Amino acid sequence: MDLPSSPPPSPPARRGIVRSPRDLLAGVCLLVLAGLALAAGAPLDPGSLRSVGPGLLPRVTAAGVGAAGLVLVLLSMLKAGEGLGRWPLRGTLFVTLAIVGFALTIRTIGLAVAGPVVVILSGLASEETRPRELVVFAVGMTALCIGLFRYLLGLPIPVLRVGGIVL
Amino acid sequence: MGLLLENLALGFSVAFSMQNLGLALVGCLVGTLVGVLPGVGPIATITMLLPITFGLEPTGAIIMLAGIYYGAQYGGSTTAILVNIPGEVTAVVTTLDGHQMARQGRAGVALGIAAIGSFAAGTFATLVVAALAVPLTRLALRFGAAEYFSLMVAGLAFAVVLARGSIVKAIAMILTGILLSTVGTDLETGVERMTLGFAPLSDGLDFAVLAMGLFGFAEVLRNLDASQHRDAVDRPIGRLLPSRADLARSAGPIARGTLVGAFLGILPGNGAVLGPFASYALEKRLARDPGRFGHGAIEGVAGPESANNAGAQTSFVPLLSLGIPPNAVMALMVGAMTIHGIVPGPLVMTRNAPLFWGVIASMWIGNLMLLVINLPLVGLWVRLLTVPYRLMFPAILLFSSIGIYSVNNSAADVLMAAGLGVAGWALAKLDFEPAPLLLGYVLGRLMEENLRRALALARGSLGTFVQRPISAGLILVAAIVLAAALLPGVRRRRDEVFTAD
Amino acid sequence: MRPALPILAARALGAAAALLALAGPAAPARAAYPERPITLIVPFAAGGPTDVVSRIVAEHMSRTLGQQIVVENVAGAGGTTGILRGAQSPPDGYTIMMGHMGTHGAAPAVYPDLKYDPVKDFEPIGLAAGTPIVIVARKDFPAKDLKEFVAYVKANSEKLNEAHAGPGSVSFTTCAFLNSLLGAKPTRVAYRGTGPALNDLVAGQVDYMCDQIVNLVPQVQAGTIRAYAVALPQRSPALPDVPTTKEGGLPEYQVSAWNAMFAPKGTPPAVTRRLNEALLAALEDPATSKRLTDLGGDLSNKEARTPAGLRKLVESEVARWKKVLADGGAAK
Repeated sequence: MDLPSSPPPSPPARRGIVRSPRDLLAGVCLLVLAGLALAAGAPLDPGSLRSVGPGLLPRVTAAGVGAAGLVLVLLSMLKAGEGLGRWPLRGTLFVTLAIVGFALTIRTIGLAVAGPVVVILSGLASEETRPRELVVFAVGMTALCIGLFRYLLGLPIPVLRVGGIVL
Repeated sequence: MGLLLENLALGFSVAFSMQNLGLALVGCLVGTLVGVLPGVGPIATITMLLPITFGLEPTGAIIMLAGIYYGAQYGGSTTAILVNIPGEVTAVVTTLDGHQMARQGRAGVALGIAAIGSFAAGTFATLVVAALAVPLTRLALRFGAAEYFSLMVAGLAFAVVLARGSIVKAIAMILTGILLSTVGTDLETGVERMTLGFAPLSDGLDFAVLAMGLFGFAEVLRNLDASQHRDAVDRPIGRLLPSRADLARSAGPIARGTLVGAFLGILPGNGAVLGPFASYALEKRLARDPGRFGHGAIEGVAGPESANNAGAQTSFVPLLSLGIPPNAVMALMVGAMTIHGIVPGPLVMTRNAPLFWGVIASMWIGNLMLLVINLPLVGLWVRLLTVPYRLMFPAILLFSSIGIYSVNNSAADVLMAAGLGVAGWALAKLDFEPAPLLLGYVLGRLMEENLRRALALARGSLGTFVQRPISAGLILVAAIVLAAALLPGVRRRRDEVFTAD
Repeated sequence: MRPALPILAARALGAAAALLALAGPAAPARAAYPERPITLIVPFAAGGPTDVVSRIVAEHMSRTLGQQIVVENVAGAGGTTGILRGAQSPPDGYTIMMGHMGTHGAAPAVYPDLKYDPVKDFEPIGLAAGTPIVIVARKDFPAKDLKEFVAYVKANSEKLNEAHAGPGSVSFTTCAFLNSLLGAKPTRVAYRGTGPALNDLVAGQVDYMCDQIVNLVPQVQAGTIRAYAVALPQRSPALPDVPTTKEGGLPEYQVSAWNAMFAPKGTPPAVTRRLNEALLAALEDPATSKRLTDLGGDLSNKEARTPAGLRKLVESEVARWKKVLADGGAAK
């Protein structure tokens, strides 16, 4: 059974100038990226052929990305394609919060807290989550990870920071 | 020939000691574990275990550390197939078809063929290393900056072939990958570039951060979306191991992949990373129905997996014959040997024959051990897939976050991966693919370095790329591959397949 | 029936007194150092010369101190990333670092935005080992000895390619010095580390290089590259057939990639003294010093093994490299 890797196609794009809103958005994103890159790379010296400077490749590739973006924008008006599709936010929001939560707590409080944070927060992203099961799972998984990463593999991951002491 | 057999006999006698066998086993187990865990890589592990090896004698120490290295290759493919997260650079290609096979309930087959292909490749590569180390090194030395640049260009051409959908979008992703690779400190001048003043970026984006964010996190986000539209789907388990037909189909790709990977692995400067990509592109070109690629074609797993393991073995060649490490992991081996009082160099083969041949023999033994370890594990992994997704994905996020953190002990890396995850999710919504981006990133750095170096050595003359024969040949290959991918006839076929989806 | 309050109080006091007595004589205000493992930050990738020297020395020091010294590799930006992290660590003696001629000598000249001061932000512990520099070239370079090498380079420098491991690396700064002495202006080709640079030298794609002896011994012994001189007052036992720069006619070229231990500023003197003692013990130990010299390490500079001596070395090196890299040609 082949699960779709992109969202299911939405109803055919309406007739108008833009025949493929998705491609239009894609092209615009590329143009924005190219613009940012060109701006970031502006102070760099492109150098000469004899001694190519740090600025050459960024500029050339940014230009390439921009060109691809333009092509997509044009194509979006010529070829029929998909609409924008659905962008459900619940999943993305909670997962991102979860990972950010991990990042903020791992060094300050330690894995013992960061682990449950990421598991529980991300669990909220799914409608199928069962709360009690999730909490038990969080604690168990964190314990497993502590044993695996810290003790078995010897990686210097802070487990718990209490006062000034790091376990 | 007689000398080779004699040397191999010496090697096996060294490698078969109880202690060395035990060390090889430990290395392989740790390596597999490290490969499976996202983010944690052989470099961190080898560095950590280095002090433990002080108490061992040099041959044993090297055997164990080497086991970690190629064990990690086996493990990295496992996560690529199961959860679409490439544990190593070389596993990126395996995600394309391997994960699709897993989704179709053929995870066991994919894992099995990966292990079998890797073993076949490892056996062949060990022989290559044993017999041809010296002449191969001489060949590899002829690869200068111009040749490397052209090789990378060919690699990028392969990347275009890799793409499943729109060529424009694939090219855009490759270029974006190259763009991302320029972030960091410039090699020649030491200036910081494209970092927007953001300190954690001053050494560039880490591959692990990029791979986990763009593949791992984004994949979780994508799956969460999908589940909100469909009913819970039961994944049928299907076969646990490849069938006769699967094996027959994979024989050719395994053979070709081994040759490609073995050759590329010898090139100092990490040529081994190109192996899987080249093999995939080759198989897709040779297949009668290339439309299957990207949707669970077993050739897309067999070829690249063989290439990546062959490359891992032959990348020992520059180390053992010249004493010059081709990549960061080998550099660690050099350090390990040095600390143990063995100075790696062209004379190791003669001055320390038991070590040299013992390591080579142990490479084959290690491959055998990994096959024996991994095949039974297939059942375990497949059962793991039946864990309900609502529990699986938080676990994946937990392991991935810890893995990313452990690369540089940096929470900032985890934040960046989160950002990349959202970006990857958005990219998927716009029908962009992440694999070409990752490839562009890996190749971009190598390409730019060699471009600048080649031009500096040639005092600015662009002709150097076509005047040097090997370089010219590679550019020709790139041109042919690109032309074949872009020609109208092929385009039509691709479009047909695309709309038939 | 519960005892009266005063009796409870007396019992409590008695118990407390007993416990205190069990704890033994009053513990000194500062507990004996070290009580837990010490982190030694090596600001380069594992396997390189500084890393190898650090691990060899740390192994012996661990035995003397009774606590494990754990090496942590923090590579980046020519070593300055790791050193910066070390400098910002708490000055309690549990984080020390192995700096070298690049990070504590040439860095201010190479990195204008350097965020630490090699002299002011550290407590010097002692010099570990120096790794002498050797001038090497591809095996078919048209010169029989150092004199001919110097003449050839002076005459043809614009046509030559010199390899180095990136700005801020030992090979970069030491060859900048050589080039400035000879007035040479070769094309300087950057590589990601000594390994790739050496590879191209062996292949003959580049012409010459100046690097630490540790990296070069096997290649020179195998004859894949030529060594012209070693920048030491006397020949190195690791390469006894290679003449010194003095013998070869270029005595001004004296340079060593010294590796030394530092602690962050504010580390108590008693702690640095203990570390220094352990370091000296390691360097005097015959087995350890043999391992270092077998690699080509130079243990002759005993003066800089004291904190005061090291401080002097750092100051003089910073001044020297500032001058050399200003006129010799930094960055390009």
